[in-house]
Amino acid sequence: MFKSFFVISLALLSGCTTVVIDEYRRSDGELAEGDSVVILGRRHSSDYETEPDLIDCVGQELHDPGRGVNVIAEKQFVDAMYPWFEPRTAPMHVRSLDRLMEIPDVRKRMEAYGVKYIVWIDGSTETTASAGSIGCSIGTGGAGCFGFGTWDKESDYEASVWDFRDKELSGKLSADAKGTSYMPAIVVPIPLIARVQNNACKGMAAQLQQFLLPAHGSKS
Amino acid sequence: MEYPRNGISALAKAGMLLCALLVTACSHTVRVDGDFPQPVGQQHPLTVGIFLSDDFRNFTYQEDSEDREEWNIDTGRAQKNLFETVLGSMFTETIPLSHYPQDLPQDVELVIVPEIRELQFTMPRETRVNIFEVWIKYDMHAYDPQGGSVASWVITAYGKTPTAFLKSQEAALAQAINVALRDAGATLYTGFARVPELQALLANKQRALSMKESGPAEAQPTE
Repeated sequence: MFKSFFVISLALLSGCTTVVIDEYRRSDGELAEGDSVVILGRRHSSDYETEPDLIDCVGQELHDPGRGVNVIAEKQFVDAMYPWFEPRTAPMHVRSLDRLMEIPDVRKRMEAYGVKYIVWIDGSTETTASAGSIGCSIGTGGAGCFGFGTWDKESDYEASVWDFRDKELSGKLSADAKGTSYMPAIVVPIPLIARVQNNACKGMAAQLQQFLLPAHGSKS
Repeated sequence: MEYPRNGISALAKAGMLLCALLVTACSHTVRVDGDFPQPVGQQHPLTVGIFLSDDFRNFTYQEDSEDREEWNIDTGRAQKNLFETVLGSMFTETIPLSHYPQDLPQDVELVIVPEIRELQFTMPRETRVNIFEVWIKYDMHAYDPQGGSVASWVITAYGKTPTAFLKSQEAALAQAINVALRDAGATLYTGFARVPELQALLANKQRALSMKESGPAEAQPTE
């Protein structure tokens, strides 16, 4: 009883988010048993950085060994392949993978991981607008906050799916999410947070799963 | 009027504590303790001595300009770890040197000595971008066993951390420095064989090795 009340309260207390997912597919998913997927964030832009927690979130949502989706954690992969996937050295195009594979130790390590797909996610979540104010005071009679605050957040991510074995671009996905959070304060501030980045992550992970697995949905 | 001895002592103590608090309130200390992964790739066929001077191992950048707060950034330990790890993986054999140029082991073919030339950083309020940025510049020197200069080159490294990721300025700056150090390692590893003098040295060494390998095989049929 208390549990369901808590869940309903949480749902009511969160702000609204809209997520739009677009997909451009060049080839069907061919993920087979034993294959791995690497999800990496692009970090070469000068004014933003793809958040590591977004990459972790997509990886955790996508990782489902029961359905044949085995995701290698970003840090583990980037450390294992150091220094070839650093912002300065990471391949920007699928063609560049050929040059990287000319290094025997790199090729061996990629093969040992069983990498089939490399998914590059580029983008960020930003606060686009904010308004209102909240004032808090403390006195002999007690403490309290009064006011109202609101802010908008926007997520804009694009995922490029590279087929590592065939050395081709399999397709692209984009996730645009928008949401407004509210914080009314009547004695106690009540945050109604729109989980914009989290919803973009879940939407992208769900779409990626459809994208990477074979159309019939069974393991090959 | 006479103050009791203990009273003055307590007052002095409180004053000193207040002064210390006021001084430390405007100063920031960052200690970077990075561990770095071993590079993956082929090793250059050289026996290399690595000399990291005490200045390099204990490097602390101090910023105390008028328009900035005081910053003490200790990168010595992290950059020592980085150069030992990266250089240690780059060559078939590496020998850490505690002295240079004295007591050089016999089989050393090249000695590498890094020096930090510059460290710069910007804070979000200075650039109006929500990113902490760090630039580090290293002067790299390579010497032959006799102490003659073989090559000198520069490594520039860049690291950034968005403010949203971290809890404090110190933590953000430490992370940006770690990113910059990883970048320095990547540049060192991928750029070493592109330095013309070192490229020639490696080509000579490869040629000597292939002649040594093919020498006895070619000599056998003629005997």
